[in-house]
Amino acid sequence: MNFSTFRSVFRPVGSITRFGQATVPRQNAPSIRPSTTPITGTSSFSSTANLQKRKRGGAPTDPRIKAIRYFLYHPLTPRPLHFSRLRYLRHWTIHRAWMLFLRKRRRAEELELERQYNSMRAACEHLRLMDSNGMLVSEAEAGGQGPDAMRLGVKGREVGRLYRAAMIKRGVYGSVPIEYARCQTDFPSRDGWNHEWTRE
Amino acid sequence: MPIGVNVNGTPRRFFSVSASAREDLQTQSTPSPPPPPPATESTAAKEIPEYMQKWGELDPNTVTEKREERRLVRRDGVQPVGSRRRRTILNRMAANRAQDIAFEQLPFQAFQEARKFLLQDRQEKLKEIETQTTRIKNLMEQDPAVSGGPSAKEARLRSMRNRVQELIILADINDPIVKKKFEDGEGDMNKPIYRYLANEKWRKYKRLILEQRISQMNLVPDLLPAINPVADVDLGFGRKDIAPGEFVDSALSEQMPRLTVQTFEPGEKLVSVVVVDADVPVLAEDSFTTHCHFIASNIPISPTQTSIPLIRIGQEDNKTEDAAARKIALPWEAPYAMRGGPYHRLAVLVFEQKDAKTLDVEALKNIKRRGFNTRAFVEKHKLNAIGASLFRTQWDDSMPGVMERAGLKDLINVQLKRRKIEPLPYKKRTERMR
Repeated sequence: MNFSTFRSVFRPVGSITRFGQATVPRQNAPSIRPSTTPITGTSSFSSTANLQKRKRGGAPTDPRIKAIRYFLYHPLTPRPLHFSRLRYLRHWTIHRAWMLFLRKRRRAEELELERQYNSMRAACEHLRLMDSNGMLVSEAEAGGQGPDAMRLGVKGREVGRLYRAAMIKRGVYGSVPIEYARCQTDFPSRDGWNHEWTRE
Repeated sequence: MPIGVNVNGTPRRFFSVSASAREDLQTQSTPSPPPPPPATESTAAKEIPEYMQKWGELDPNTVTEKREERRLVRRDGVQPVGSRRRRTILNRMAANRAQDIAFEQLPFQAFQEARKFLLQDRQEKLKEIETQTTRIKNLMEQDPAVSGGPSAKEARLRSMRNRVQELIILADINDPIVKKKFEDGEGDMNKPIYRYLANEKWRKYKRLILEQRISQMNLVPDLLPAINPVADVDLGFGRKDIAPGEFVDSALSEQMPRLTVQTFEPGEKLVSVVVVDADVPVLAEDSFTTHCHFIASNIPISPTQTSIPLIRIGQEDNKTEDAAARKIALPWEAPYAMRGGPYHRLAVLVFEQKDAKTLDVEALKNIKRRGFNTRAFVEKHKLNAIGASLFRTQWDDSMPGVMERAGLKDLINVQLKRRKIEPLPYKKRTERMR
């Protein structure tokens, strides 16, 4: 946990602990690991470790206690940013670059969406102008598009069948439109299975 | 021992004594403890004990530690210069200068990555500018019939040119060096980006204030139907800068003002400067009229040539033999306000001359000062107000002298008074009036 944001107002009482140091107080260290003498060794007159005594701020605080103090007392707003001239300029540069990056990414996403939409639209148009043999028909022969997608053209139901099927917005499974239910395909045939068919 | 003196004879520092007071101590009281005769000065070096010599060189300009300061005072008898804070900063600056890495090469990873990204964006913008200029060139060569008529072609060309201008700004606006230079006032006004930044800055604060004063003091519509300032006009008398609408001491305004006109469009312009008083009382008619205090024409300005030193222009006018080269049509008349009268608003208007055509100064000399009509003047000479400033003048202690020198001696002792409005005669309220 990095408290540096709150440093001006939040200063743990004994905040000298480095991360990863023992959570137990130092006094117990010699009894657990007597081999690490130079740091934790005690003199004959004192029960306090030498180095620990020399340190400012007394015994290192348990990180749990530190965390409890932090969450109890820290202010809701972090301290404002106070930068020197050049540091501010660097900050500004990074900020501008980040904003530019976001803008470019947003633009790219928009373009991608546009491309996808256009592609879908072209596919639908293709379906609309396609007859049962997969041939392209003229605008007059094809049915309506958009709001009156159900309108039939001169050639009737054979043209744009898949388009009309895809455009049905009536509830099929509750309110879920049909295009989410299954892929619109040209099979099975509308006539069903032709049992009469034989190989010549 | 006296209270203010330490054991070793140096003045004791009190907590309440600030740094500046300590500097006083250094200049005044340091020599006062027994002034060593110059003869013993040379032997003093030999008398320094060995342990003191070990302290080495101590520079009063750069010592920062308490102990070193103490040693400096003890051994050399010199107080450190300035505050410790100042000395520390000086030291640090010297150290920084020793490193001297250019700002854009500072080794911070995020900063460098950001710069790389911005530079790449700049390259893209430059490329876009190139393609856009090529397109413009192609369009210009195109037959207007193909591009949908001459007016449509013009409109398209205009929008394309605007886009190029925009791109030129966008290419440089993210550059920290540009920002730094602009903030330091080192921006080159010939470059569009600095003009753009200066314009933005002006519009964010100074122009707002100017607009407010112009409307509050009714320059519009008293003098002109509308003013849309597009150039930054700084007004000053002598060394004093005048904020728009400020009261100016009459002794100051006796001399011509100095103007700084910063335009934000490229190219040179010819401007006319007109100073009009909008509040000259006409006692006979119980009303006000205008009075033109100054007209100068054909003054060249450009984004880099911003100063209009009217006093120097006047001096040059006096020197030149050629009447056509003169610029001041109506010389400066000191603004005045009469005792007891309301303050006078004096508008300083900067007009752009159409197509940078010179005006005939000799003809302008015939303009009548009293009752000067700004609207007619603008109309007649095809002028366009690009900047304005204003100041106010009122009766003050130096006004009698100013008026005397201006030849208005008979007006000095005139005291204007507000006419008392007689109350309507008392009329008994009757039933009909209710």
